[in-house]
Amino acid sequence: MSASPTEAETDGRAPAAPAFFPSAAARVPQAVWALVLLAPALALLATLFVYPLLLSLKSSVSDASGALTIANFQTVLDRYGGDIVYTGAISVAAVIVTDLLAIAIAGYLTLGEHPTAVAVLRWLYRWPLFIPFIVAGQAMRSFLAKNGLMNNTFVGLGLVTPAHTVGLLDWRGVTITFVWKQLPFVALILAGAMASLDRSMIESARNLGARRPRVLVGIVLPQVVGPLVVASVLTFVTLQSVLSVPLMINAGSPSMITVDMAYRITSLNDYGAANALGVISYLMTVVFSWLYLRKGVRDEEQRR
Amino acid sequence: MNGRLISLLTGVALLALPGVPAQADTVLNVFTAGDQNMVDYINDYLGPKFEAANPGVRVRAVGTGPGDAGSLKIFEKLDAESKAGAATWDIDVAVVHQRGAAQMLDDKLLSNYRDQIATGDLVSSEMADNALGTNVTGYVMPMFNSQVALAYNPDVVNDPPKSYSDLVKWVAAHPKQFGYNGVKGGMSGVGFVMGWVAAMTGDGDKLDKGPYDPGEKTKIEQALSEMKPFNANVTFTPGNAGTLDMLNRGEIAMGPVWVDMFYTWVGDGKLNPDLKLQLIGPGMPGQPMYYVIPAKAASPDLARKFVALATSPEVQAEGIVKRFNWYPGIDADKVKAKLDPATWQKLFTDVTPQDLATKAKPFPLSQYFTDILDAYERVAN
Repeated sequence: MSASPTEAETDGRAPAAPAFFPSAAARVPQAVWALVLLAPALALLATLFVYPLLLSLKSSVSDASGALTIANFQTVLDRYGGDIVYTGAISVAAVIVTDLLAIAIAGYLTLGEHPTAVAVLRWLYRWPLFIPFIVAGQAMRSFLAKNGLMNNTFVGLGLVTPAHTVGLLDWRGVTITFVWKQLPFVALILAGAMASLDRSMIESARNLGARRPRVLVGIVLPQVVGPLVVASVLTFVTLQSVLSVPLMINAGSPSMITVDMAYRITSLNDYGAANALGVISYLMTVVFSWLYLRKGVRDEEQRR
Repeated sequence: MNGRLISLLTGVALLALPGVPAQADTVLNVFTAGDQNMVDYINDYLGPKFEAANPGVRVRAVGTGPGDAGSLKIFEKLDAESKAGAATWDIDVAVVHQRGAAQMLDDKLLSNYRDQIATGDLVSSEMADNALGTNVTGYVMPMFNSQVALAYNPDVVNDPPKSYSDLVKWVAAHPKQFGYNGVKGGMSGVGFVMGWVAAMTGDGDKLDKGPYDPGEKTKIEQALSEMKPFNANVTFTPGNAGTLDMLNRGEIAMGPVWVDMFYTWVGDGKLNPDLKLQLIGPGMPGQPMYYVIPAKAASPDLARKFVALATSPEVQAEGIVKRFNWYPGIDADKVKAKLDPATWQKLFTDVTPQDLATKAKPFPLSQYFTDILDAYERVAN
């Protein structure tokens, strides 16, 4: 895995020594070309991310006349403190459940011994990946309702009586939809990582009598923690930005802050408070992104 | 390399050709806030009618989304074009909510056109002059009027409540059987809450007509804090459509809905036709949508012609009442003459003209509206 010192020094950049000595004509184009190659990406980053980010930060600490204030944050913490906690909690819960199920699926794809079952699972598990959140939200809202498809099926099968059915159109519905939607994404990354492992370790463990769950937890999982963390971070960040699912499934209060942001803008034309919520959302994702970056840096250090 | 580039560009140009109209059509851009049915109304009904009467004109309908958010997007576009100093603006006709119209007028983005169209004197109702406390006389023509009312399932509810105080008792006796969508899930819930405040404060007239009194906030908060035990016994529904869905599946027995949406869903076979409507006292709010013409519309003459057609008694009868189950925007007696009695009666089966006359209220003034939404979040949950 690790590269030799010589490769690491030259990896990804031009040899440093000759650049100081050749003629000016040869030196300038290289710098220019590097900038030209980077320019589109940098321009996109600056106009579509950095600039709006700064605007949103500014708006969150400005009042209607543009003067500096923390009133927006006071409003937001006063009204939506519960929603902020709820948003964090529901996203973390969804990430944990998604990870556990993804480990189970990817683990079976890697260690399963029944070829047909593996093939069917491999074919099936990816489908939700192609369904947009809004469609998933709409489908789940008639599926999970008190007299929805799921409960009607249970009643039809004689498992419950109509009087005892429970609607899941609340935090449970949102979590279920998030997990259903993100599971294939995490499972895909994990299954890929597991497939590239050296199988000889798995086989030695099996030969020594370890059961498959033991192999999964003791041998396979520790080697794919990196990709799992990355997939979890990306899932958390994605869930932070979903508006349609909580809007369609989670009626009433508390709700996720995306719903509050939309409400502040559409009903009250209050961009200040909406942006304050946005900043809080950034802060939540920053914690997870920090994990992601730290992981990246460590990988880089290990490679050297 | 150059040769390939040229052939590529030629290919792209050829592909683009079918999109170019055969003759230089004038395009009339009609932006509409509201649900998809608003865009359908223009694309399927009004647009073709106008194009047939005006050869060489193409009507392009653009939907900007439901609720005040949709109107806000139109406002933001006009505002941006105005601030950029554009000579003409991209929107010829817009269909907006009351708050949107008031906001656009405050920022001088609209043209005063009602006196210049033939149908301008066919509307005499208060809503053509007053949008949540802003005087909009001359700047708007009502497209239609809609109303929030309680829908209920007569199999479960024998004796529906007649007033908000009846409803409070009913909800206490039938926990979780009443459902509404709060204030973040669409305007039927917002309307229900506005009606609640008018009923519990007893200040309906003051809230609707003004003048604005900041001291009213205390009474509003008091009325909404009384809603807290009520909310504990209701089912929250996900959106306007969510209330109808849950009624239809029998998960709730009663809830506030838009009358036009109710009839449209029944007509489309999406809703149990046995469900009934009840407009409760002292009143529930309704609102019109307005046709407005931006101050710098690119084709102002065509825009006025378009609005004149849209507010003619024939179109109001056939399009607004018969096809889309809305209450007419222009005066009802002008429209009634153009419809068969059966169609007219269908519109008033559950909610009678007397109900509408006594219990159909406007939404409160903008400032009260905001105060009520604000207080709801703080004290009602």
